[in-house]
Amino acid sequence: MLCRRILLIKVWNNGRRWLLPSSSLSPVPTTADYKRHFSTHIMAAFSLPQNNQFTLKIPYMENRCKFSSNAVADLHTNGIVDVPLAQTGEGIAECELLKWFIQEGDEVEEFQPLCEVQSDKATIEITSRYKGRVAQVLHVPGNIVKVGETLLKMAVEDTQVPLVTLSNLENEKQPDTKSNKDFTGGVLSTPAVRNLAKEHGININDVQGSGKDGRVLKEDVLKYATQEGIIKDPLVTATATADLGQLFHREKSSLLESAQVSGHYEDTIVPLRGFQRTMVKTMSMAAKVPHFHYVEEIDCDALAELKASFQTNNLEPGLKFTFLPVLIKSLSMALSKYPMVNSCFNEESVEVILRGSHNIGIAMATPNGLVVPNIKNVQSLSILEITKELSRLQQLSLDNKLSPADISGGTITLSNIGAIGGKFGAPIVNLPEVAIIAMGRIQKLPRVADDGDVYSASIMTVNIGADHRVLDGAIVARFCNEWKRFIEKPELLMLHMK
Amino acid sequence: MLIPQTKNIGLPLMNLMRFKGLPILQQLHIEEQLLRTSSENWCIVNDGTNDPTIVMGVSGKPAELLEIESVLDDQVPVIRRFTGGGTVIVDHGTVFVTFICNKEAVPNLQPYPRPIMSWSSSLYSKVFQGIGDFHLRENDYVFGNHKFGGNAQSITKNRWIHHTSFLWDFNVQNMSYLKHPKRAPAYRSARSHLDFICRMKDYMPRSTFMDKTMDATETQFSLRPIQLEAIRTCTEAEFCPSSRFLTNEELEAAAVALQK
Repeated sequence: MLCRRILLIKVWNNGRRWLLPSSSLSPVPTTADYKRHFSTHIMAAFSLPQNNQFTLKIPYMENRCKFSSNAVADLHTNGIVDVPLAQTGEGIAECELLKWFIQEGDEVEEFQPLCEVQSDKATIEITSRYKGRVAQVLHVPGNIVKVGETLLKMAVEDTQVPLVTLSNLENEKQPDTKSNKDFTGGVLSTPAVRNLAKEHGININDVQGSGKDGRVLKEDVLKYATQEGIIKDPLVTATATADLGQLFHREKSSLLESAQVSGHYEDTIVPLRGFQRTMVKTMSMAAKVPHFHYVEEIDCDALAELKASFQTNNLEPGLKFTFLPVLIKSLSMALSKYPMVNSCFNEESVEVILRGSHNIGIAMATPNGLVVPNIKNVQSLSILEITKELSRLQQLSLDNKLSPADISGGTITLSNIGAIGGKFGAPIVNLPEVAIIAMGRIQKLPRVADDGDVYSASIMTVNIGADHRVLDGAIVARFCNEWKRFIEKPELLMLHMK
Repeated sequence: MLIPQTKNIGLPLMNLMRFKGLPILQQLHIEEQLLRTSSENWCIVNDGTNDPTIVMGVSGKPAELLEIESVLDDQVPVIRRFTGGGTVIVDHGTVFVTFICNKEAVPNLQPYPRPIMSWSSSLYSKVFQGIGDFHLRENDYVFGNHKFGGNAQSITKNRWIHHTSFLWDFNVQNMSYLKHPKRAPAYRSARSHLDFICRMKDYMPRSTFMDKTMDATETQFSLRPIQLEAIRTCTEAEFCPSSRFLTNEELEAAAVALQK
């Protein structure tokens, strides 16, 4: 079971490297044994768990599972090692070779610079992982070399670390007093395997070696890491580029659920990327703004009637009417009267910019996290146009295809958290705006009429979060009264029709 | 009295050199010298350079990147620098900020291009907090989707340099010396250069930017001002920087090769 799991980890890493070199989990594989390994020794089942969104066609893979421990030993069959382009970190797929610091026949030390490459904005010195002799240089300056592709071949000695007593290889915890840089440790392994251990924060002396003379192989490190819970099934801890964020997120959440269902109550590390990462930044900044909150209840009976009427008389199939477009248009009407609520605050110059356009942001919960696209120039749009634009933005956000223009330039934000649930929230402003409105769910509540009769009304509670450096309670209260008026009496919107 | 000093205890030391109007080639020579021969951390700030100069990345090809005829006619100097990245035209409206660090200087920072780029953007996020929707976009600093800062790096065995040229202001005419590059960031979306970039001065006063950058740096390093003379030691004689002017002959040859 464990070996198959390790194989899946390897296959997954390798598959991702083949197809998605910019999103590999660990730093780029350090040896070329993958290529030779998989072409000659391993044919592996490649399958993603139940909710996979795609199947990857990977060369060399078939639907069988074999396990070989020869991986790292292949490096040394004839003393020649393929040295791949590595040391570039995530996100880099290929580099231009700029210059060599060595030539064929040179003796090189471990960590000696071999060449300089360029990727996008960076020149990077590539250093040698081995001590040995340069056997063959495979590229000339000017060539584009893919990360993982062999740069040169080196003749290395079979053992590159001093032999130590075998008692060190027993699986007992040793006090971890050595720093990660200490390479003179007491087990046999290649520098590549040591690096792998270091990347996972593992003391290589703690790992039991299954190779010849107790040599610690790559599989041993991965097995140890899995046992110690340092790495999980890599699909769960996958980091994804923004483009693939949605895909990975779906797999991630489904795996998290299935892990819990099957009884694996272990911690899971979820790196925050994409929208979630942005949220960390924006919310941290917004938390520094002095907020106050204003709460109001709005009777939505008239709104419900209006929505029903729009739907009944809808001439466009596929267009769905909700409460939001009317709420958005009414909001714009109220903003025309209280432009301070539609402004930006410039801390530096202590100025408020009264924005001319009403670019109303709608907070959307997508599989990738919270995103706030905005509808531009609501003051100039009809309710029908708003409905269509809202629908467009909703679809784009679900597909994770919002453009930068869609999510920038907002002047005020509406958060329809009530669509999911809740009475009302205490929202945080979406900087550099000065106000945000959280709308709770519309609920049927009892109200008391003037004559004392109790009647039922559809009530929505709203909470306006406002930047108290710019707005005070009076402005927000008056603004909210104006907005409420238009919602409760939507016929008043006609007064402003042009 | 004790408090300002105690806040710096435990922070790694970083030497700070500030210039105003230093010629860009000289700045690049100093930077390369410090990267390759020093073992300390450095921050270099150059508040504008003197004459308008074109600066290309280490493997930039003039024919692809420049309007060579105009460059030659107007005798605009062209430099090939030692770091990667694209082409800029710099002048007194450009503000330069450079960080040169040992690999261990920033805790938990992997010495690779993207992590260093992210680290730098988190530093500048403090500078531009709440201003103009600042963020790192691919490899550029932007307000919204308009670029105002370009980055380049060089990573050696034990150290790295990350330098940025900020468009505090620019001369529209100067931009016409640069061609639309073959490799452009996706978010540029085929916009013309002038639709793609913006001026930092529309967002923040120059001195405020400098002060805030120093403040942000001081949250991670203990800054020690150093004068240029202090680094003009024997190493200068041994070290040969690689950033250089391209000669007229080289530019002319590139123009001729393009026509073929």
